[in-house]
Amino acid sequence: MPLAAQALLPLAALLAAAGFVRWRPRRRVNGWIASGATGIAGIIALVELLRLAPGEHVDVPYLTTFPYADLAVRLDGLSLAFAATTLITAAALMLTRQQVRGDRRDPWFGWLLTSAAACAVILADNLLLVFIALQLLTLAWSGALDETARRRRGLRLSVQIADIGLLLAAASAIQSVGTSAFSGVPSDTFGLATFLLVLLPVVVRVAALAWVSSGPQAAVTFEPSIAWVAPAGYLLLRLLALMGGRLPDRATAVALFGGGVLLAIGFATLALGRPAGLRLAAPLLAAQAAIAVALSAGSVPLMTAASTWLWLLLIPLAGLVSVRVVAGSLAETLTLLNLAMIPGAIGFLGFWLGGLALAATGLLFGMIPLVLAVILLAAAALSRAAVIRSIHVDPASIWASVLLLVAAFPIVAMNPIVLPAAATVRLVPRGTISASPLGIGTSFGAWPALLVSVAVAALLGIAGWRLGDRLPLRRARGRIVRWPTGWARWPVRPPAVPTWSRFLLGGAFLVAVVLAMVRP
Amino acid sequence: MIVYFPFLLFAAGTLVAYGSTGLRRQAATIATVAASGWSLVLLVDPGSGTWAIGPVVATLLLPRAGQRAQSNFEGLTRRVVTLAVAVLVALFLATRLPIGENPILLSAVPWLLGALGTAWFVSPIDEPERLQGQALMIAAVAVLILIAVPTGPLTTGVAGAMALMPIAGERGRIPGRLRPAFSGVLLLAAGAAAALAVVGPAIRPFSMDDLSFDVGGPVLLATAIVLVAGSAVSAVGAEWAALVAVLALIASAPGLRWSALAALVAVATGLERSAERPAWLAVGVLSAVPVLQALASPSWSARVQAVALAVGLVLTLLAATTGMRRVLVLPAITLSVMLALSSLSTSNLVRFQWIAAFGAALLIAQPLLTMLIGGSRREVIRDRLLFGLLLLAIGARDSLGLGELAVVLLLVDLAIVRIDHLPAASDRVARMVFLARSNWPPSATFAGATLAVIGALQASLVLGLLAAIMLAALQLAPLLDRHALAPGPERPRSSLRWIGPVVSIACGIAPALVLRMLRL
Repeated sequence: MPLAAQALLPLAALLAAAGFVRWRPRRRVNGWIASGATGIAGIIALVELLRLAPGEHVDVPYLTTFPYADLAVRLDGLSLAFAATTLITAAALMLTRQQVRGDRRDPWFGWLLTSAAACAVILADNLLLVFIALQLLTLAWSGALDETARRRRGLRLSVQIADIGLLLAAASAIQSVGTSAFSGVPSDTFGLATFLLVLLPVVVRVAALAWVSSGPQAAVTFEPSIAWVAPAGYLLLRLLALMGGRLPDRATAVALFGGGVLLAIGFATLALGRPAGLRLAAPLLAAQAAIAVALSAGSVPLMTAASTWLWLLLIPLAGLVSVRVVAGSLAETLTLLNLAMIPGAIGFLGFWLGGLALAATGLLFGMIPLVLAVILLAAAALSRAAVIRSIHVDPASIWASVLLLVAAFPIVAMNPIVLPAAATVRLVPRGTISASPLGIGTSFGAWPALLVSVAVAALLGIAGWRLGDRLPLRRARGRIVRWPTGWARWPVRPPAVPTWSRFLLGGAFLVAVVLAMVRP
Repeated sequence: MIVYFPFLLFAAGTLVAYGSTGLRRQAATIATVAASGWSLVLLVDPGSGTWAIGPVVATLLLPRAGQRAQSNFEGLTRRVVTLAVAVLVALFLATRLPIGENPILLSAVPWLLGALGTAWFVSPIDEPERLQGQALMIAAVAVLILIAVPTGPLTTGVAGAMALMPIAGERGRIPGRLRPAFSGVLLLAAGAAAALAVVGPAIRPFSMDDLSFDVGGPVLLATAIVLVAGSAVSAVGAEWAALVAVLALIASAPGLRWSALAALVAVATGLERSAERPAWLAVGVLSAVPVLQALASPSWSARVQAVALAVGLVLTLLAATTGMRRVLVLPAITLSVMLALSSLSTSNLVRFQWIAAFGAALLIAQPLLTMLIGGSRREVIRDRLLFGLLLLAIGARDSLGLGELAVVLLLVDLAIVRIDHLPAASDRVARMVFLARSNWPPSATFAGATLAVIGALQASLVLGLLAAIMLAALQLAPLLDRHALAPGPERPRSSLRWIGPVVSIACGIAPALVLRMLRL
C-alpha cells in the first residue's frame, strides 16, 4: 500500500466510523463500531511505529499549494507513539462507556470526531496545521457550534485564546524561514518568546485537568485524556524536538523546571483537601502533568526519556481517572495507587529516571522539591484509600491493573513506544537506557521494576490488612476548594463616560493621522 | 478673457439656482454643469465635453417644484454656512493643486461644482436637492480626475454618465419576474470569473474604442466576489448595482473607476441613509488619490496619497455597517484600495500601516465607548474586529501574499456570509450556516483571521501582536453580540440563501485556491 494511503489509514478509520454512527444513530452496535474503529486506528499507528527505523521520519505531503503550510502528515517516533497511545486509550474509553447501563446519550459521533481531531493534531506536519487541528479538536470536544453555548464556555474560550500562542509561533517561523513545517525549521528558529507562546496552550490544558474536577461527572469523560493531556504533552515534546531537544537557555530551563514543580506542589496540596473520586483524581493528575512539564526542561537524554515516559503514560492514566468508579471498589483503590506516584506506579518510573538525570548532571538538589511534590501526591492519594468492600472485575479495574503491570514490566512500553518518541525529541545514544523484563537499566543505575512492584504490593497488602478498620486514614471534610467553572460575571456596571469622549476618540485618530503624515 | 467665462457662468448659475425655483432653477443648475464642462474642454480637449451629457441628463430628470420649500432661520444659516465652507475648501484645494499654467479661476470651476454638490447634499432643502447634490458630487469626482488624468471621449462620457446613478438607485428596480434570471446570470458570470481566475491564462487589458478594461491580477476574483454579493445578498431589485461595482473594478481609467465607486455609494446610501456621510467622505478622500498623483508636488504627494488611501478605507469601514454599503461598497472599495497599494513605496506603506493600526483601534473602541456612554449599541463587535483585522491584513503586503488572501477571505465573510438572520431550525442546513458564521475552521472567518495574523506578523511585530489580540477578542465577541447580526438588505427568503455559507466553507477549506486566483 502506498505510504500516502497508509498515513491516512487511522484518520480514515475514525472518519468512516463517524460517518456510520451518524448515518444510523442510537443503535447499541454503534459503541462497538466506534471502539473497534478507534482501536484499529490505534493499532495501525502502533504497527507504523514498530515498522519505523530508529531515527527515521517520513513527511507525506498531500497538497503543496502553500509553501509555508503544506497539507501533510508527519510520521516519526513522536507522532506515532502519541497517536497509538491516544487512540488506544480512546478505544478503551469507548469500550468502557459501552459497558455503562442506563445512560441513553449517544456520544459516539462526537467522540470519534474528537479522536480524529486529536489524531490530526498529532500527525500534522507543520505548526499552522497543528493550530487548525487544535481548533477542530476544541470544536469536537465542546460541540459548541453555537459559540455562545454555555457548556464549558470558560474552558473552551481559554483554550481557544491560548492556542493563538501556537499560531504566533507558526507565523514567527514562517517569517523567519518561510515555512512552519517540522522538517524545514532549523533548531535555532525558536527563541524564548516563541517557546513561551507555545507553552501557553500546554499550560492551559494542564490547568484544564484540575478545572474539570468541579464539573458534572459523567460515567465516562472523554476530554481529559484525549483532548487535554495528549495534545499538551505532544505540543511540548514536539516543540522541544523542533528546538533540538534543549531549551533556549539555562535560565529558561530552570524557570520551567521550577514552575512545573511549584505547580505540581500546588496541585498536590489542593488534592489533600479533596474527597475521593474525580475531584481528588483531577488535581493528582494535573500534578503529575506538572511534574512532566518540569522534567521536560532537562537537556540530557535520560531526562527526555523520563518526560516522554510520563507524558505518554499520563494519557491512559488520565483515561483511567475519567471513568467513574464505585467508592470502596477494587477499581478505586487501584486507581489511587496509580495516581499516588509511589514505587510500583507508572509515574514513579519517570520520576526515578528524572532523578538519575539530575544526579548525573550534578543537580541532585533539584530533586528536593520534586520529592516534596511526590510525597504530597502519595499522601493525598493513599490517605483516601478505603477498604475494598467488593472485588468486582470491571473495565476500570482491568485498566488500572494493566497500568500497574506496565509499571512492573516497563519493557512493554519503553522499547516500542517511549524510546522512539524520546529519540525524536533529542538524540538518545545507544546504551543510555535499556529495558528488560525485570526492569530498566541505565548507565547511572538500574530499576528492578518487577521486584519493586512485588515488594510494594506486599507492603501495601500488609499495611491494608493491619490498618483495615482505620481506612481511609483521612476522612473527607465538608468544605472543599472549588475551582470556578465559568468566567466571572462583570462585577459592577462600568463607570459612565461623557458623550464628548466620542470626539476625543475621533480627535485622537486625527492626531495619529497627522503624525503618520509628517513622519519622515 | 474667454478662460474666465466658465467661472462667471458657474457663479451666475449658482446664484440663480439658490434664488429661484422650478424650471429656472433647473436651468441654472444645468448652467453650472455646463460651466464645469466648458472648463474641462478648455483645460483638456474638446472631446472631453461628452462628460457633461450625464450630469445634464441627471439634472433634467430631477424636476424642481415650482413652489419654494418652507425654510427657517436655522436652516438658511446652515445652508449658507455649508456652502461657504465648501466653497472655501474648494478654492483652497484649487490653489494648492494648480493645473499647469492655467488661471486659478478656470481650474477652480470643477472644484466649485463639487462644493455645490456637497453643500446641497449636506444641507438639502428637500429630497430632490439632495439627489441633485449627489449627482453633482459624482460628476465633480469624474471631472476632477479627468482633468488630472485625461482620457478619450467615450470614457469621459461614461464617467459623466455615472451622475445618473443616484436617480437610478432611487427609481431603478428589476421587475420581479426578471429578478431570478438576472441573479442567475450574475451568479454564472461570477462562476465564470472565478473559474477563469483559477485556470485561465493571464488576460491582457482590452479596449472598446478608448474605453479600456483591465482584468489582470486579482481583478477577476474581486469581480466574482461583488457579483456573488450582488446576486445573492443585495437589496431586492437592486442587483444591477453589482455591475457598477464590476465597472469600478475593471475600468483602467481612474476617472471612470472612482466615479463608478462614487455612483455605487450613491446607490447604496439611497437605499439606506445611515452612515452615509462617512461613506461620502471616504469617496472624497479616496478620489483625491489620482488627483494628487497627477497634480500635487512630488515632495508631498506620495505621502498624502498613502494617508488618503488609509483614511478613506477606515471611513469606508466605519460606514459599512449595514445594507448595500456592506454588501457591495465594502468589497468594491477595499479591493480597489488593495490594488492601489501595490504602487506605494516602503516608507509610505509604513505610513499606511500606522493609520490602519490606529483605524483598527478606532473601529473597535467606538462601539465599546458607545456602550460605556450608555447609548443603545447597534454595532456588532465581531464585525468591528473583522474590520480591524482586514485593515491590518491589507497593510501587510507580505511577499507570500498572505495579507491579500486574508483580505479577500474576510471580505467574503463580511459581505456575503455574515448577513441575514440565523435560521431557527436545527437541521443540517442550519448547522452549516452556524459553522459558516462561526470562528471555527473551516469557515472563511477562521481562515481569514488566521492568515491576517500571519500576514500582519510578516509586516511587523507590533501589527502581528495587535492582530493576535484582535483574534483573541474575536473568540469572545459572540458573547457581546448576542443581540445582533449585521442587518443586511431586505430580501425575501430565496433559494440563493445557501450561497453565502457554501462560499464561506469553500473558501475556508481551500484558501490556497483563492491565493491562486489572486495571481500574486
